[in-house]
Amino acid sequence: MVTQTSPPGGAQTAPAAEPSARQVAERRWRSARGVVAVLLVMVVVAVILAALRPATSPLALDPTSPKQDGGRALAELLRQRGTEVTVARNTEAVFTADPGSLVLVTRTERLTDRDLSRLSAWQVDLLLVRPTSFALAELAPQVRRREPVYGNADPGCSLEAATRAGTVAFRQSDTYEATGSATRCYQSDSGDSRVVQVQNGSNTVTVLGSAEPLTNGRLTEEGNAALALNLAAGTGASIVWLVPDLPESGSGAGQQSLGDLLPFGVKLFFLELLVAVILVALWRARRLGPVVAEALPVVVRSAETVEGRARLYRAGHARDRASDALRSGARERLVPLLGLPRGRAQDPTAAQEIVTAVARRTAYDETYVGAALYGPEPVDDAGLIALSDVLDDLERQVRES
Amino acid sequence: MALTGRLGLLALLTAVIPLFAPTWWTLFIVWGVLLLGVLADLALAGNVRALRFHRSGDTNVRLGGTAGVTLIVENLGRRRLKARLRDVWPPSAGATPRTVRVDVPAGERRRVEMTLTPTRRGDRKAVTVVVRSVGPLGLAARQLSRAAPWTVRALPAFPSRRHLPAKLARLRELTGAHVALIRGQGTEFDSLREYVDGDDVRSIDWRATARRNDIVVRTWRPERDRRIYLVLDTGRTSAGRVGDIPRLDCSMDAAMLLGALASRAGDRVDLLAYDRRVRARVEGASRTDLLPAMVHAMAPLEPELIECDAAGMVSTLMARVRQRCLVVLLTELNTAAIEEGLLPLLPQLTARHLVMIAAVSDPRVGEMAAARGDLASVYDAAAAERARAERRRLTAELRGHGVEVVDAPPDEIAPALADAYLSLKAAGRL
Repeated sequence: MVTQTSPPGGAQTAPAAEPSARQVAERRWRSARGVVAVLLVMVVVAVILAALRPATSPLALDPTSPKQDGGRALAELLRQRGTEVTVARNTEAVFTADPGSLVLVTRTERLTDRDLSRLSAWQVDLLLVRPTSFALAELAPQVRRREPVYGNADPGCSLEAATRAGTVAFRQSDTYEATGSATRCYQSDSGDSRVVQVQNGSNTVTVLGSAEPLTNGRLTEEGNAALALNLAAGTGASIVWLVPDLPESGSGAGQQSLGDLLPFGVKLFFLELLVAVILVALWRARRLGPVVAEALPVVVRSAETVEGRARLYRAGHARDRASDALRSGARERLVPLLGLPRGRAQDPTAAQEIVTAVARRTAYDETYVGAALYGPEPVDDAGLIALSDVLDDLERQVRES
Repeated sequence: MALTGRLGLLALLTAVIPLFAPTWWTLFIVWGVLLLGVLADLALAGNVRALRFHRSGDTNVRLGGTAGVTLIVENLGRRRLKARLRDVWPPSAGATPRTVRVDVPAGERRRVEMTLTPTRRGDRKAVTVVVRSVGPLGLAARQLSRAAPWTVRALPAFPSRRHLPAKLARLRELTGAHVALIRGQGTEFDSLREYVDGDDVRSIDWRATARRNDIVVRTWRPERDRRIYLVLDTGRTSAGRVGDIPRLDCSMDAAMLLGALASRAGDRVDLLAYDRRVRARVEGASRTDLLPAMVHAMAPLEPELIECDAAGMVSTLMARVRQRCLVVLLTELNTAAIEEGLLPLLPQLTARHLVMIAAVSDPRVGEMAAARGDLASVYDAAAAERARAERRRLTAELRGHGVEVVDAPPDEIAPALADAYLSLKAAGRL
């Protein structure tokens, strides 16, 4: 390690000092921090959005779930009031139930195309709780979903279940717009309804925009319980509560590949895009003239061997060699100052002569000077540093005397 | 042939057409139109094959200076040529501009001015000239690269030129040609002349005075017409960088100052650059031609990463020079290289010639020797002291063989070598 700095204006002022690892790291951080900041912001925004989104647990509106968002309270109430509640985990169970039952359909996102078409063909009354637009198109084609709204609402319609329930706490709810003859209840400010009842042939289909009034947690708020019980048990003696399990893979959905789903025009678009990319690549690949290679001069620092030897000394703790070199260098500079012939500097027989001369011109006695100039090697690294300082001091005193 | 970005962009924009008319035919039509555009451009672009290139301009430039090279583009075709042109030079030639737009009507010529600022010494050869002539639609271009040879030689900078007036003034003092009335300090008898007030009485020639009625003094002058042989070592030790300059460049600078000085002093100067074979040689150049000849000989020299063959160098020297001369060897005081190579051959050389060795020392070693503070600095200082001691020992050994040694840092080596030469001349030892 070379820690010393070159003097200003010296011939050695290196034109471009090699950057230290710290400087390199700083430079990289400076150039990358914009990207890192953008990524961080994206992550934070994603986390916030995910946190704001209402979470649906796997057991939401399950008639056996006692959790806040479960439906066990409603199911128990219905049973207490003499309504037979059958829990269906798939659509097969619906078709084996009483033909006169009401089917309460929850979690419609789990129903496959085939389930939905069979359900619409089955002649039963349906109560759809917050259906997906896909399910809505299949089961109640005259009803269309609109923007969600928030808050309590008054019935404002002639539906008996609604008028008897009064105000209901829907909290966040989808709204619907229906064409043709339909009963529209709990309308929002924009005129769309939270509850819509339509006649689909001989069957009644009721669409409920929010699952909240049915859940364990919210059943006691406002007229929720009344609305839920009236809608569920209003018509028949038994209801089938359909909570579909996740469809097995390959059962109707997801059999088509991406290629089947893409329109032909889009495929051609991508083909042309590929051609465009190839053309751009060809444009960039053709250089205006060759890259010129040139033999560069070798860069070897002249002092490299000296620096290498210094590192070797240090790695090998060669205090003997280092102290010898420092002492002989100091003697070499001292001898002309003392007025002695240059040859004496490295002559062991002239040791006493030099020591005496130096001691006479400095504040130290001969023993001290002798130990400094000819003594044994330092026992540790601190001793070596001290020796270099002592030699400097001797040299300075002789020079100034 | 070359495609343009416009073609890619057009392909990108037309990619939306199949979205509205999703048939294969749409795509084929789009491709057909693009292909037609490309073919039309290739057919209508200016003919690059009918171009002829001519060059004129500078062939030499001092390192750090700027050379102007003119490229003349002649269009022998029947169509006007609108093109982008790149005159390709090696990076160290520092050629600007990188590309130029040229517009050459049929049968006419246009000049393209290039400026070159070489960053390194040596010959810089033009690689090629590339012309890209884009068609009228801008979709495709015809491209051709054709050689247009030219060489610009970047000469050594000779920064120690500023020392020359001072050294020449000292030389004039020596020869007595100085404006002040100072007796020429030479050893060679020049002429007799009448005594004037202020002349040194010791130079009165009594014998001549006796023959005439006037007092006559002898005048002396330094020896003239001596031979100086500058030998540049271009072996591995010359590649080491002192500061940021290779040792060879410092040696060249010193050689140029000495050459300029010695040729003014009336001596004959020859130059030899050697590592394992002769890299450059200047012999028998006249006084006025010497410096240009040296500069041109040295310009393409690069340090070779091989050990210098001292035996070969000495035998070459002995074969070339019969009479006694001053051999100035510009090398490095590297213990291993000198002790194994040059030292055994020195007696042979010194028997016939006066030998002077000039070496560039590294100030970094001095800095390291002065370093104190922590352990690393002290070990640095110890290693530097060791290196200095070896250098001193080697210098003493060389002096023992009767060799003059000049050892100085890079910014002082040229004047130090000139001073050493002047003192040899004053002492009449040449």
